[in-house]
Formats: sequence, C-alpha cells, structure tokens
Amino acid sequence: MTEWTNEPGLCPLRSSGPRPAGLGAQAEVEETLKRIQSHKGVIGTMVVNAEGIPIRTTLDNSTTVQYAGLLHQLTVKARSTVRDIDPQNDLTFLRIRSKKHEIMVAPDKEYLLIVIQNPCE
Amino acid sequence: MNTEIQDSQARITKEEGKEGAFEKTWSISFCTHSGKRRSSLKNLKKRSCQTASISTAEKAAQTRKHVDAQVQTEAPVPVSVPPTSLHDDPRLAAFLRRVEAMVIRELNKNWQSHAFDGFEVNWTEQQPTVTCLHTLGYPPAQGQGLHVTSVSWNTTGSVVACAYGRLDDGDWSTLKSFVCAWNLDRRGLNPRQPSAVVEVPSAVMCLAFHPTQPSHVAGGLYSGEVLVWDVSNPEDPLLWRTGLTDDTHTDPVYQVVWLPEPRHSHRFQVLSVATDGKVLLWQGLGAGQLQLTDGFALVVQQLPRNAKLKKPPRGETEVGATAVAFSSFDPRLFVLGTEGGFPLKCSLAAEEAALTRMPSSVPLRAPAQLTFSPHGGPIYSVSCSPFHRNLFLSAGTDGHIHLYSMLQAQPLASLQLSHKYLFAVRWSPVRPLVFAAASGEGDVQLFDLQKSSQKPTVSIKQTQDESPVYCLEFNCQRTQLLAAGDAEGTVKVWQLSTEFTEQGPRETEDLEQLAAEVAT
Repeated sequence: MTEWTNEPGLCPLRSSGPRPAGLGAQAEVEETLKRIQSHKGVIGTMVVNAEGIPIRTTLDNSTTVQYAGLLHQLTVKARSTVRDIDPQNDLTFLRIRSKKHEIMVAPDKEYLLIVIQNPCE
Repeated sequence: MNTEIQDSQARITKEEGKEGAFEKTWSISFCTHSGKRRSSLKNLKKRSCQTASISTAEKAAQTRKHVDAQVQTEAPVPVSVPPTSLHDDPRLAAFLRRVEAMVIRELNKNWQSHAFDGFEVNWTEQQPTVTCLHTLGYPPAQGQGLHVTSVSWNTTGSVVACAYGRLDDGDWSTLKSFVCAWNLDRRGLNPRQPSAVVEVPSAVMCLAFHPTQPSHVAGGLYSGEVLVWDVSNPEDPLLWRTGLTDDTHTDPVYQVVWLPEPRHSHRFQVLSVATDGKVLLWQGLGAGQLQLTDGFALVVQQLPRNAKLKKPPRGETEVGATAVAFSSFDPRLFVLGTEGGFPLKCSLAAEEAALTRMPSSVPLRAPAQLTFSPHGGPIYSVSCSPFHRNLFLSAGTDGHIHLYSMLQAQPLASLQLSHKYLFAVRWSPVRPLVFAAASGEGDVQLFDLQKSSQKPTVSIKQTQDESPVYCLEFNCQRTQLLAAGDAEGTVKVWQLSTEFTEQGPRETEDLEQLAAEVAT
C-alpha cells in the first residue's frame, strides 16, 4: 500500500493540470468522493456544509440527515474543546470508534467530510 | 229606561276567514234584555270589541364571524437532502482536494490497525444469567383452568398483554375468557391484578398490539371473529369487531398481524389467518365494524407443486393456516404455516383468483408462490429473520425447528428440540444468530447459532410440572425482556443475560455466512 505524501496543493492521482471551473469541478468532486467510497470497508461518505445541511451523500436520506445534524454539533463542540484548552491549537480530525464501525470527520471552515468505515476485525 | 243586563248571553264568535292567521279578531256580541221582559227582542244592541293586533317582529341572532381551527399530529415527512447547486462546486472541489489525502491515510491505517483488538467497553451492568422478573397471572382465569394462548408487548415496550383460552379443545366451546394487560412501569405492580382486564365471550387464540397506538390490541377468537380493543378504556374497551357475517372465518383464528395500509403508511389494517384456509385483511370503519378489504384463500389444487406433499383426505380442498410471519425486508412477502406441516411462501400482490366456493364480499386470491418441504406434523409458528432477507424458522408438532431459506424448498437445517410439540419460535430482535423456542415440555429454549447449532445455549424451565409453554415474545424496545405464557395461566417475564442482548461486531455477516454455508 503506497503511502500518500501530504504535499499541499499536489494531488498525487492527477496527471494533468488543474481542470477548468464549472463542469470540471463537479466531475472532480464526484471522482474524489467515489475514490473515498471505494476504499476498503467504507460504508458511507457524505459532505455537510457549515450549517449542518448535507450536500453530497452515498447513504439514504434519513440516515444522512441524522448523521449530518449530530456530527456537525459534535464537531463544533470538539473544536471549541480543543481551542479552550489551548487557543493556539485547532481541530484537524475527529474519529469516533464504536462497536460496529468508525466514523471519521475531516472539518473545515465551510464543509465537513464524514466517512463511515467498518474496520477489519 | 235603564238597560240592565240580565240574563245576558255572551256569545263569542270567531270571525271566519283567516283560519290559521296570527291576527284573529274576536267579536263579542251581547244580547241585552230589558228588565221588563216584555218584548225581549226590542232593545237589542250589537256591540263588538276587538283586540288590537298583536305586533310581532322577527329578530335573529347569529355569530357573524367564526374561525375554524384544527390540531392534528401528522406522521413525520421524511426529510430530503436538498439538491446541490452548481455554484458550490469549485469551493467544494478545493475542500476535497485539501482533505482527501489525510482521510485516505487514516482509512488505510484503520484497516490495518490492531489497536482495538479485543478491546471492549461495558456501558451497562453485566447480567450473567437469565432471571425471572415477574410472574403474572389472573386468578379467575387460572381458576377456570384457562391457558395463556398468546402474549404481546405494546409499541412502547412497557405493557404486556396476554390472551386466555384453551389450546386443547376439540369442539365448539362457549367458554368466557379474558384478555389481561399489565403495565410493568407502574409503581405497585400487582402480579395477580392486571392493569386492564377485558372479558371476551369466546376463547381468544391470538393477540397483537398496534404498532403505533400503545393501547390498541387486536385479538382472534375461537369462534372466528376478530376484535380490536382499547385497553386504556375500562368501561367500553371494544373498538371494532367483525361480527358473524358471511365474510368472517368459520374456524378459530390462529394469528392476527397489523399491517400498514398500502397507500397510507401510518394507518394500519388487521390480517387474520384461520384453519378454514382463509387469510383476510380487515379495515376498521367508524361504526365499530371491521370491514373486509382483501382476502386470500388456500386451496389444495392451487398449491405450487414443487415439493412432495401427502395426499389430502378426500373431499377437503382447503388448507388450514395456523401461523403467519411477514418479511422485514419486503413488506408484501409473507410465510404461512399450515396444518399440513409445509410452510408456504406467499405474496400480497398475487393476482390469481382462488378456486373456492366460500362466500365472500371481496374476491379471494390464491397467494402461494412456493411450497416448502414439510415437517412431520402441523406447524404452530413461523418467524422471519429481522436481519437476513431470506431466512425464516418454523416450529411444528414434530418437535423440530426448521431453518429455511426463501430460495429453496428444502430446509437449510433441522434441529430437534423436544420430544413433544413445539408451540412457538421467535428470532431475537437484536442478535442475528439467536432465537427462542417454547416447548411442550415446559421450557423456553434459547439458541445461539454462533456458539452451538446442535443444542440450546440456555434452557429456561418455566413450569414446574412440565405443562407446555404456549407462546413467547421478545420485547423490541427493552431488548433484554422475553415474555412467555404457559398452560398454567401464568405469564413469566424473563430478563435475559447480556450475552443474549448485546450484538457482537460481525454478527450480521456471520449470519449471512451461515446461510450461504448451509445452503450449498
């Protein structure tokens, strides 16, 4: 399994230059989400905006809305916890491990990426 | 000459003409006689008087403005994900570019990680053994020697109801029986005094609580009627009944089930199965009458011929149905258990008309699509797995449990649990590999297919004198509770140990694996 290097601004999988905006951006979004979804053990992927409203999802509506609402609140709380302890610090990633699977949240100013994976056990 | 009025006659005459008119004029004419009585008719004077017309006036009072207001709760509308807008995409793409690498790295690490192997957290108190929480009974019913024929938990999981009747009667009986309900959450719960008792004119064979109304319960009687009660209303609990019409079953009703209506999924109708071969769908109308909306009839000639069946006795064309279970994955698919010992796979959407001469206001259809290989005796109970779309269990009088897959006629596995009859079998609502069975030897047997597929993991002795346990139900809200009713007229509520209530990490997959393994 190759280890992706975290070089900012360079996406290892793309061979050509940046795509034009508009339709190209949409295709890029779909491709990226498909790549994440096809990873081993991934049950569902969704993107939630800053208000907690889901804008992309691979799960059914009711489950998506539930995850989006709850995880958005939890992320806000987690972020404020980190910053309360040390104002110079900030939340970069949130993982919740449960009996059945693991929920991973990648936060950002405008969006949240939520991935649910069933780890190998 | 003074006219004295002597011997006067007053004559009151009514003026002709305005019959019925409000203004009437009365005229009084006096006939006066003079005192001397000479010529009586000399001094006659006519006088008339009239009342002034009574003035009337019409007045009306009415509220001019009114406002109608209604309050009603509606079933929640499923929220939909709002459609995406194209304007977001460049920013969204940039965000994904930023986080993708990190997320993929974490996914990979997770997949290979052994950090959490064997790590378990105990949130609830661990219960090592099965204990009896309550022993409930209704002394007047027990005094009559009635058995508990059916138990049911309500939708909130706090009320358990049981139906009294007899399961060993051969002929018609006019036995009065009861439906009793205990509210386990109430303080001062008296096990011998139910929170609600409904008297029923005939033995009740089966019971089912409404899926959303906590106090509505449907029951099927020995006489073939189906009744719906409201146990929260002690004065007049009966809500709807089928009555004894041409449409009603002519044999005891062995099971009732609530089904969502096809178009209004928050309203429900009642499905009843009886040994007269009919499967009927009833709808409650306003006047307290249960109306037949749809029906199916099982006829021997129309059964699919894929499994070898015993030849039916001459002259009998109906196949008696004794148990029904609906699939949790396909709401129109159901399994019927029959007196002949063979389960039938049926569909609500079947279109073929049934060749039956039984009178019915609604055309009856033949529902069977597949006949499964039979048990050695009549089937008393079937149960579809809530975790696997193709698996179901059936229990019969031959003391065996058969595990079937909807895809093939031969059972996947056959387990002998008892040397006597088996009266009920139910899958656990939380553990995909666990099921419970009620035996004629007085035990409730809990099977965990993960541990052993040959013998029960736990065998709970319910009755002391080996009288049979007739029914059992898991509580879907409080998953550690199991209610079982027996021939002594008692309902025991068992609290299961933690191993039966907490799902392990990969059980659904294990169940699928088991189904696939055994099928080949």
